[in-house]
Amino acid sequence: MAKLALLFLFALPLLLSLTSLLPLHCNAFSVDRPTDRRLLVLVDDLAIRSSHSRFFSSLQARGYDLDLRHADDPGLALRRYGQYLYDGLILFSPSVQRFGGSLDLAAVLDFVDAGHDLILAADSSTSDLIREIATECGVDFDEDPAAMVIDHTSYAVSETEGDHTLIASDDFIKSDVILGDKKIEAPVLFRGIGHSLNTANSLVLKVLPASPAAYSANPLMKLSSPPSLTGSAISLVSIVQARNNARILITGSLDMFSNRFLKSGVQKAGRSIKHEKSGNEQFVTEISKWVFHERGHLKAVNVHHHKVGETNEPSMYRINDDLEYSVEIYEWSGSSWEPYVADDVQVQFYMMSPYVLKTLATDHKGLYSTSFKVPDVYGVFQFKVEHQKLGYTSLSLSKQIPVRPFRHNEYERFITTAFPYYGASFSTMVAFFIFSIVYLYNK
Amino acid sequence: MARNLGFVVGFAALICAALLSISAAASIRPISDAHRSAALELFVPIDGSFPSLEETYEALRTFQILGLGKTSDISNATCPVVLDKLRSPTSSPKEFFNALRLNGILGCEIGSQTFENVASHLHALIKDADSLMDLYYSVISLLHIKGQGVSAVLSDAEGVFHSIKALSQSDGRWRYDSNNAESSTYAAGIALEALAAVVSLADAEVDQSKIGIVKHDIEKLFDSIKSYDDGTLYFDEKHVDGSEYKGPLTTTASVVRGVTAFAAVAGKLNIPGDKMLGLAKFFLSIGVPGSTKDLFNQIDALSCLESNRQGFFLWYRISIPLILSLPATVLSLTSKDQLKVEVTTVFGSAAPPLTVILVQASSYDKDTPVLENQELQFDTENNIHYLDILPLKIDVGKYTLEFEISLHDPENLNIYATGGRANALAFLTGTIKVDKAQIGVFDSDAESAATMQKLDLSQDNRISLAANHLQRMRLTFQLVTPLGHNFKPHQVFLKLRHESKVEHIFALESSARQFKIILDFLGLVEKFYYLSGRYEIDLAIGDAAMENSFLRVLGYIDLDLPEPPEKASRPPPQPVDPYSRFGPKPEISHIFRSPEKRPPKELSFSFLALTIVPLVGFLIGLLRLGVNFKGFPSSSVPALFSILFHAGIAAVLLLYGLFWLKLDLFMTLKALGLLGVFLIFVGHRTLSHLASTSAKLKTN
Repeated sequence: MAKLALLFLFALPLLLSLTSLLPLHCNAFSVDRPTDRRLLVLVDDLAIRSSHSRFFSSLQARGYDLDLRHADDPGLALRRYGQYLYDGLILFSPSVQRFGGSLDLAAVLDFVDAGHDLILAADSSTSDLIREIATECGVDFDEDPAAMVIDHTSYAVSETEGDHTLIASDDFIKSDVILGDKKIEAPVLFRGIGHSLNTANSLVLKVLPASPAAYSANPLMKLSSPPSLTGSAISLVSIVQARNNARILITGSLDMFSNRFLKSGVQKAGRSIKHEKSGNEQFVTEISKWVFHERGHLKAVNVHHHKVGETNEPSMYRINDDLEYSVEIYEWSGSSWEPYVADDVQVQFYMMSPYVLKTLATDHKGLYSTSFKVPDVYGVFQFKVEHQKLGYTSLSLSKQIPVRPFRHNEYERFITTAFPYYGASFSTMVAFFIFSIVYLYNK
Repeated sequence: MARNLGFVVGFAALICAALLSISAAASIRPISDAHRSAALELFVPIDGSFPSLEETYEALRTFQILGLGKTSDISNATCPVVLDKLRSPTSSPKEFFNALRLNGILGCEIGSQTFENVASHLHALIKDADSLMDLYYSVISLLHIKGQGVSAVLSDAEGVFHSIKALSQSDGRWRYDSNNAESSTYAAGIALEALAAVVSLADAEVDQSKIGIVKHDIEKLFDSIKSYDDGTLYFDEKHVDGSEYKGPLTTTASVVRGVTAFAAVAGKLNIPGDKMLGLAKFFLSIGVPGSTKDLFNQIDALSCLESNRQGFFLWYRISIPLILSLPATVLSLTSKDQLKVEVTTVFGSAAPPLTVILVQASSYDKDTPVLENQELQFDTENNIHYLDILPLKIDVGKYTLEFEISLHDPENLNIYATGGRANALAFLTGTIKVDKAQIGVFDSDAESAATMQKLDLSQDNRISLAANHLQRMRLTFQLVTPLGHNFKPHQVFLKLRHESKVEHIFALESSARQFKIILDFLGLVEKFYYLSGRYEIDLAIGDAAMENSFLRVLGYIDLDLPEPPEKASRPPPQPVDPYSRFGPKPEISHIFRSPEKRPPKELSFSFLALTIVPLVGFLIGLLRLGVNFKGFPSSSVPALFSILFHAGIAAVLLLYGLFWLKLDLFMTLKALGLLGVFLIFVGHRTLSHLASTSAKLKTN
């Protein structure tokens, strides 16, 4: 028995060290290093490995582990023993009716709900399953299965493709964090189906809208009724950033990522400039950087507040105190945390509603600070920083702090207005003193 | 009716499928410079060599076929490895195979003694080998040794032939070894290549009947060929989930290699030229593959189809596919484009003399041909067949073209596979004239009295209209093709957009010679959600054949619609602008309670002075009255008490002063209590003394 206990004592540290090693394998997606590492790529045709190899190799060159599987591979699983096996999912399998293994619609949504990222590309063969995933993300693909996005005014000029379904679009969302600092000069080639955004969903954004003259219809059939999707309501590429900072990219064109589109030249109809290379490579590379959290991920540290002239954080403020508030905000650059520079970080002094809302000044080294006077209302307040910026993860900080009124002896003591009253009483007192002497001793 | 409709829809779907396939077929182009640049991009040697001999072979073979001379610098680094493998006694047949086939390209300096040693080693291996892959590697290795001019005769050719043939299945496919029940199409290609090598290595003629059986197997194998709708053909495994599954490209390439190799040694095979053409189309339809393996398989298989560049096959016995391709399928009437057709081999080299006839060109919508039997002229300089379209008076639109290739030399019929007829989809584009555009508003019952305003649709207009729900709006225009016919574009939309961004789209129908739409606002009030106000009018006209497709703003219409009833549906919510959603919020600063209003300090001080005035008056009065202190006790003890009494009063008054300045109530009351007791005592003594003195005076 004693031997057994001894054995247990020896085994315990070993076991502990083993369990402490385990998280090392899964630490790719952590608070300190938000970039994804392991990606599962699902395809419905293994030829995509070859036809989309440039996109995959650009991901691999940036350090991602790609696990490319057929979408009905019976061994598919996103999580095992409660741990997610991947940080991101790329669905290049538009025609798949049912995933293999334990993967299904609910598993994909759980994966996103757990804060993981998703790229979904569809095309004209899109199945109901893929449509449902898109719908859950706030994006509705055109219901007509034969419809494609057609644009007779901003198509890509081509000698061999005359039906104007190959669209050249350069109306990108204006956001450096999503599409990179470098402007995408050449239009992006797109061929596929259009989608519309659910207006009730405030998290989904168009990255690449169609031109006002575009419409979604079957190019081979005469139109008998107006199409359901037209103009700028059609989105070609959309993104979602969920409240848990999971990022989703949805596009109706799988070809967009293909080597052929990445390499091909492009000339937009009505323009004389012929670009040697389409903007697709830059576009898909930059946007995949965003989706997999290489950019636009913020963290806030060192929240401090104190009275002006002091350094210690008080447990309570008095009304009308002057205070200073500061917070440090850093942005993830893919390899390190860099100071975040913005001029619209705001702090709120909040009790039921903001009493003070002030823009923080920055020193361009990550430190944001401001000072203000505590309102003359007492109660339990909060310092709130709710920073939501296009393309960045949202920051939400709050710190509770009570505010008390003046104490009885903290009010003003000598009010000049009252001096006549004081003067009257003191002169009466002096008169009383003199009178008492005069009255008693006068003869 | 419903059945009728179903039939129509089904028929339309069928047409769609057929047309899609045609357009896919038209996009097939021969191997071009895109492949060459892709090959240079994909096969990148690291420090002058590739990771393995197999990859080196694939790279060099691809470069060789594409005519990219890049072997010299690689041979320096790779030849020692090749020599090392050949001299090593522990090398497997696969390593010999890779080293020898690589040597076939590099031509490393290897002594004939080494080859003879390897050959004898391989002979021994062949005797013991029972799996297909081992036999294949050994036999092909021997073939390569023979190619180096070293004698490598297979003494037991019949036996080896038999042991390979023993693995074949009745459906033309092969097993990898006798223990493995699963048969594979990929293995069939391997086996055929091995058999071809055995035949060419044999010291004596192999029995023709055996070769005949294999030929029959090949025919069986071609029965299992799979096809896409557009006539491309490929081979694939029956079960795609097996561990050995390699994908259609690798499988098809293996079969093509095997069949062409076998045909080279065994004579004419009974395979229709169409099948070879279909296979060639399959490889070309892949375009430019993105992986090294796929590129090698595509290029190598196509080179097998095109010609026998491998030196040891003497002549070719399978039809060479000729590919008909259109460099451009979008032809502009405005810039007088010619219809150009290229007929080349898969690698883009010139075909033998032939004539291309445009058998028929028919509009996509109707089946009636607009053109028949036009012979294309041949431009020998650019190797292109062309046809001027402009004199043929064909209007803009989408056309299906049917071509026929006829070879001039009847002997070439046996050498080349043309596939007879080929289809292609082409667009003829031109500028459409927009004419007689008019817009106007009129009362419901007086259409004829409508005053119409003319529109110039070559630019944006600024028409301003006003209407109420009892009126109608009419828009008419004509679209005319360059040849003066009516034109019906795919997209003719009228868009009304309210200030709140609610859009309404109407498709315009053409009637007689003009497009016309009448908007009856009475019937549309519900659709417009009873939203009065300014609507922007946009007109979008576009078609694949229309070079001047446009979206124009026509102007505005102010609609005065009735108030909505209670149950009217609300307009759908419009998407929020993403930029405004994320902007910074306006700053809020707290408004502090303002301090109470106070009189100015001067006023307070002047009133303070006023309050002191009565005291001063009192003192002056006392002086006037001539006060004296004669009543002050003269004896020392009562005087002391009097002084203490008044000092006590002064102390109480001073305490009040201090209370005002800084003391709190508790301190004050404490001190006052003490002073009070003291005052009572001294006050009593003083007052009683004074009383007694005054009583004495009275009595006196």
